[in-house]
Amino acid sequence: MFFHIVLERNMQLHPRYFGRNLRENLVSKLMKDVEGTCSGRHGFVVAVTGIENIGKGIIRDGTGFVTFPVKYQCVVFRPFKGEILEAVVTMVNKMGFFAEAGPVQIFVSNHLIPDDMEFQSGDMPNYTTSDGSVKIQKDSEVRLKIIGTRVDATEIFCIGTIKDDFFGCDQRPYNGLNAPLCTLISSSLHVIESYI
Amino acid sequence: MSGEEEENAAELKIGDEFLKAKCLMNCEVSLILEHKYEQLQQSSDDAVNQVSQVFEKSLQYVKRFSRYKNPDAVRQVREILARYQLAEFELCVLGNLCPETVEEAIAMVPSIKTRGRAQDDEAIEKMLNDLSLIKKFE
Repeated sequence: MFFHIVLERNMQLHPRYFGRNLRENLVSKLMKDVEGTCSGRHGFVVAVTGIENIGKGIIRDGTGFVTFPVKYQCVVFRPFKGEILEAVVTMVNKMGFFAEAGPVQIFVSNHLIPDDMEFQSGDMPNYTTSDGSVKIQKDSEVRLKIIGTRVDATEIFCIGTIKDDFFGCDQRPYNGLNAPLCTLISSSLHVIESYI
Repeated sequence: MSGEEEENAAELKIGDEFLKAKCLMNCEVSLILEHKYEQLQQSSDDAVNQVSQVFEKSLQYVKRFSRYKNPDAVRQVREILARYQLAEFELCVLGNLCPETVEEAIAMVPSIKTRGRAQDDEAIEKMLNDLSLIKKFE
């Protein structure tokens, strides 16, 4: 899920940037430093959207660098265990498939794919239901639930499942009320197929 | 803190910090990021090439999975969902996934039923109806 949160960071600035443009320099350095980073606690920092306030700078002994505490607003992406989201399939193999939801990678093992979906190898490997109505292959859109996260210093990696009602490519389980989404996805699949 | 063990979005256990924070639906993120991308394009040619991979992937993702495109519809969705005493997180999951039946909605947001709020099936159905109306008139 994306969040809009306020974070704080101590920015060190070289004296050469002091002067009229100090604030601009500080802000552009902040963006360069934090955008695209990832921490286990706050997730991926996607974009800085505003500055709340910049505190008083403190000169560091011996170096001349000044440390400014900066409070800034930003958009972050943080996946949670138990969260349900949509993702794009990036790779399919007999072990399962990988999908991406924004910056985060999610792996769905074949144990967590419904039993009626079979792996089909070939130049476009995919998982297909026995009646052929649903196909998960590269570039398909799937809905999945995150059941585990692994947090590195610089990356978050997720394990997902599509073994439940309302998950996966087909939104079919009950009385056909979900048909529009199902046809939408299958028609986009046809588009993909016509490219091949 | 052993927050990692406790975390479970289905029960709305996402940590105090995020529970209080403002959640964003994909369509809202799309508006924010596209605006920022346009600004970068205007500032200099170089800035666009310097955007992080995280930014690029997020932009592609939210563009692909935005249910509502125009800003007015996005605002209406939030207004309608805000009437139902949902937590920010629940509101955004519903706005992102647009479930079409009550059962689907409960499967997507299990916490909707467990938090002891007067959220009966009828209320949920009405909420889903209102949402689908916005989509229809967009």
